[in-house]
Amino acid sequence: MWGTNLRILGVVLGTLALYTLIANKIPQVQSEVPRALTLGADVTPEQLAQAGEQVFTGIGGCTTCHGLGTRAPNLLTDEKGQGPIGARCGKREPGKDCKAYLYESLTQPRAFVVTGYEPIMPDMTRTLSPQQIWAVIAFLESQGGTITVSASDIPAGNQGGPTPGATPGIAGGSTDPMAIIRGAGCIGCHRVGAEGGAVGPDLTHVGGRLSPAGIREAILLPNAKVTKGFERFAGVMPKVFGEQLTANQFEALVNYLAGRK
Amino acid sequence: MVDAIHLLQAATDSLPAYRDFPVIGSRAAVWIAAEIHLMFAAFVLGVPMFAVVAEAIGIFGKDQRYDRLAKEFTRLLLIAYSATAIWGAVLTFFLATLYPRFFAYLTAIFGVSMWIYVSIFFLESFTLYLYYYGWDRWKYGRAKVGHWGLGILLNLWGTTVMFIADSWLTYMMTPPRDITPDTAPGSIKLWHAILNHTWMPINIHRLIGNVVFGGAIVGAYASYRFLAAKTDEERAHYDWMGYVGNFIAISALIVLPFAGYWLGREIYQYDQSMGITMMGGFMSWLWVIQAFLIAVLFLTGNYYLWVGMGRIPGAERFRPYTKWLLAVLVLGAIVWGTPHTMIADSRELAAMGGSHHPFLGALGVMSAKNTAVNLMILTTFLSFLLYRRANIRPVVPWARTGTLIQGGMFGVAAAIVLFFGIRGYFVEAIVRIGYSVYQVGAVLACIIFVTVIDVLMARGAQSLGAIQWGKMPPRSQYALFILAVTFTWLMGLMGFARSGIRQHWHVWQVLQDTTKYAATPALGQAAIMISICVLIFLSLVGFIFWLGGLAEKSTFVPAGKDGEHVGH
Repeated sequence: MWGTNLRILGVVLGTLALYTLIANKIPQVQSEVPRALTLGADVTPEQLAQAGEQVFTGIGGCTTCHGLGTRAPNLLTDEKGQGPIGARCGKREPGKDCKAYLYESLTQPRAFVVTGYEPIMPDMTRTLSPQQIWAVIAFLESQGGTITVSASDIPAGNQGGPTPGATPGIAGGSTDPMAIIRGAGCIGCHRVGAEGGAVGPDLTHVGGRLSPAGIREAILLPNAKVTKGFERFAGVMPKVFGEQLTANQFEALVNYLAGRK
Repeated sequence: MVDAIHLLQAATDSLPAYRDFPVIGSRAAVWIAAEIHLMFAAFVLGVPMFAVVAEAIGIFGKDQRYDRLAKEFTRLLLIAYSATAIWGAVLTFFLATLYPRFFAYLTAIFGVSMWIYVSIFFLESFTLYLYYYGWDRWKYGRAKVGHWGLGILLNLWGTTVMFIADSWLTYMMTPPRDITPDTAPGSIKLWHAILNHTWMPINIHRLIGNVVFGGAIVGAYASYRFLAAKTDEERAHYDWMGYVGNFIAISALIVLPFAGYWLGREIYQYDQSMGITMMGGFMSWLWVIQAFLIAVLFLTGNYYLWVGMGRIPGAERFRPYTKWLLAVLVLGAIVWGTPHTMIADSRELAAMGGSHHPFLGALGVMSAKNTAVNLMILTTFLSFLLYRRANIRPVVPWARTGTLIQGGMFGVAAAIVLFFGIRGYFVEAIVRIGYSVYQVGAVLACIIFVTVIDVLMARGAQSLGAIQWGKMPPRSQYALFILAVTFTWLMGLMGFARSGIRQHWHVWQVLQDTTKYAATPALGQAAIMISICVLIFLSLVGFIFWLGGLAEKSTFVPAGKDGEHVGH
């Protein structure tokens, strides 16, 4: 009987060892807790790129769209024979070098939209600090190109959170509803009149089906109630508009949408 | 009641957020306690389901063997039950002492449901005692049916207890969207918190998973008793018991992926970024490991059936086919285990020309994987059909036509699976996702209709000889151990996936984990933890079963009037 017991023990331990070994042989990725970024004056381009990669794959949320190949251009791999983003960024906009183009893409994403894609990219100054933005630019430059970002580009202070000095509200604080809608990138997903996409519900007659309170809730808590037929896009709408819009803008937007019956 | 909740709420503010556990740390301590409690709980919730079915077969089919089998299942249950409660208490104490503020948060919302949980746990315990100790007392007539009713009641209590506990953990994963970090826990309505996105999918997934797990552990128990048996009679009984355990585990396993799809879909609907983290983010390789484990389950389960055909007169007719079945299973496993998106650095990505491998990438997509797994399910079903058919020769006049129709159904189902698998490469993702429904539908329809034909065709069939229970080579029993270890490990892995997608949140985007253990570990470290949990669990189960063997002799019964029966 001892022989049988030992054989059973051998089978159990052998099976456990095999599974543990295989799980340790595959690529090991730990999901880190997002941390504020601290960059000294003597930061090297490599350190910047390394920090940028962490922001790109982590707190920046960039991979949610860049990398799927359908919602936004792939940045780390070849795009239509032009190479990864570091190789093509200097040729995107006439008169703009790679660094300037990437900075514009992150801080004024609607200034130039790549053909074939919707203007859904948010202004990253609202969620990332200047250090984080420059680190991401350095990382993107490193993808097939040369890192030109240096410590002198990066303003001191504010290691985490949004960029200071960013204009309050969206669209320069304008209370023109359509300026807000365009500035916030709503039409990247929602149709309003003749403009917009079909990722989210059509807002042309939204006032006919939602009360002002319902519209407020839909903007502040976009996942609280998901419109029938759009379940697969639940979670796509950012939950940041309550913080990004000023109170005046928010009310102007709600009143405008509630009036579209 | 409200005052009590307010007291808890007030206590929350004066509590330290965390304490640490010596040597292994607080996360590892809670991980081990939760995992082992869950494994025992799955066993004690799964076994009553098929114990009550076995008892019903005994009563209504008038086959004493099933009644004795049900009683033996319940005896295992009785012993494992106290271990479940002990580990549940360990988990509760660990949570209350190591994560006091988080635990207070949960109690502030779910306090009332915790009291109900304890009450039902009492009812469940006493129903179990009545069910087991009343077995021989309420043995005949209406008393026996009443006893069977106790078994059903036991399942109802157990399921309710599980549903309540599921609400706590699913709330942590998918709290209702109107709950924010600023929401006072005392103000959250209990039913609102319970009725979160993943509550029902997890309930259903666990119900089925518990049956799979219970079947596998019972199979391992039977195989141990088989190997230790001193008489042919005892060996025959435990051979049969092992077969039944394995049959239950594999049958329920075939249904489990559908519940898994539903759960995955709900996670995506709740928060797409959570879904992406799970399937395409840092956890993507977990699914490759899962594919490997399920491939082991399919291969080992089929191997057990094929070896088992050695004890069935007439089965030699089908032996030449097994190599082809093996080929399909191995090819299917290879395709299923092909990674979709490779985790790679930028140089590797550049060398590959993208995140997909130029050749293997085509096999790593959903179309190929769904095709592979559906063909593996069909193959396993065919194995079982050959096993079932092994010692009978149908005598109904339409036997040949019936067999041809069955063959045709297999062919049509496989063709549908392949057609939609190939077509999936040429359509958009949203259309492709819908194709899996057609593939699964074809396989399920084949299983149902072929089984119905087979049952009708087996009526009055000529026997080629009774199954020689007990005439199994020992290696087949070790296969049952591999199945039990793999099922247990898989359960630990899936528990890590479910819990790990919360990342550094106790409650997703509501209550953050600020301990030094907040980062979610990589698969390698998780695998070590899972193996430790499985080893502790199996050691305890082995000890408990050994104790059970000391207390009572095995309850095997010689084959009675059905000794010559040819069915399964």
